[in-house]
Amino acid sequence: MKRWIVACALLLVFSQAGAAEPPAGMIKLDGRPAPALQLSDLDGKRVDVTQNHGRWTLVHFWATWCGPCRREMPTLAQLMRELPAERLNIYLVNTSENEDDVFAFLASVSPELSTLLDRDGQVTERWQPRGLPASFLVDPQGRMRYLALGGREWVSTPYLNFLRELTAK
Amino acid sequence: MPRLLFLLFLWVPALFAADVRLSREGAELFVSGRSPEQISAFYGARGMPPAALQELSKACFLTVVLHNRRNDTLWLEPAAWRFIDTQGQPIARISRQEWTARWSALQVPLAAQSTFGWTQLPESRDLYPDETVGANISLVSPVGSFSLIARFRTGADGKGKMIELNVPNLSCLREGASQ
Repeated sequence: MKRWIVACALLLVFSQAGAAEPPAGMIKLDGRPAPALQLSDLDGKRVDVTQNHGRWTLVHFWATWCGPCRREMPTLAQLMRELPAERLNIYLVNTSENEDDVFAFLASVSPELSTLLDRDGQVTERWQPRGLPASFLVDPQGRMRYLALGGREWVSTPYLNFLRELTAK
Repeated sequence: MPRLLFLLFLWVPALFAADVRLSREGAELFVSGRSPEQISAFYGARGMPPAALQELSKACFLTVVLHNRRNDTLWLEPAAWRFIDTQGQPIARISRQEWTARWSALQVPLAAQSTFGWTQLPESRDLYPDETVGANISLVSPVGSFSLIARFRTGADGKGKMIELNVPNLSCLREGASQ
């Protein structure tokens, strides 16, 4: 009887783990490998996102002229506090703007955030987001699994629960 | 800061009085005219050289927002849209490919080309339920008012019911025109 109860409990746990359904509007991708992403941040430090395989990674493309990007920034900062980098790496990639504009923008919206700079926009072109802002969720094997378009409330319950479940595996 | 406020104003279409908003069977369309000054200010601040700004000032820019409020896919395909003047004559749309060719000829910096690209409507987009796309569409500047007949395929395979929206009385804002 005990074994049967344990088996049922395990079945329940695994069935829930497999049910990590994304929040409404988040697009499931086909798992193609994420394109290369090697860019410098605002301090000139070179970052190679492909070095972070083994953990889930959120790659967020944005620009200062996009209204939803402005609203989304603080929730990304909150998400970084909720899910530490050991569980979810978060990289912001500014598309085609200069560091002065980007620095001034982030200082006014979310001073704690930093971003990678895609100065000529060519890395963004390779990733092919459907629009800006766009966030890709890349699995620990470096494959693109989900795409979230537009400004998202990353610390709202549906998103946070989804990300917690996803990164707990 | 004033520049930031101006840009926010520029890209928040809901603030403008001359806006057109239509909806049919879950296809929600918003159209708003952009003045040459707005276009020049925005792209000029993002690295577009004077020769490119001159090209932009010759065109008519409309900001379009499409929201899919259906339960299935809604297809955005500007090539299937028709712009018609009051005489019933077609008005040519300037495609992304045409702009790209112009920018290459004018040796516009890649960053400015990229920003321009992200602010133009895609040539094709399968909008998922509740997905929104918002960007500019450009025309060869017509004289007088004109209409837009926008057609949308539906369904994942595009073979669902066709939706048509007719947007009358559109016009291009001229130099110095206020909203």
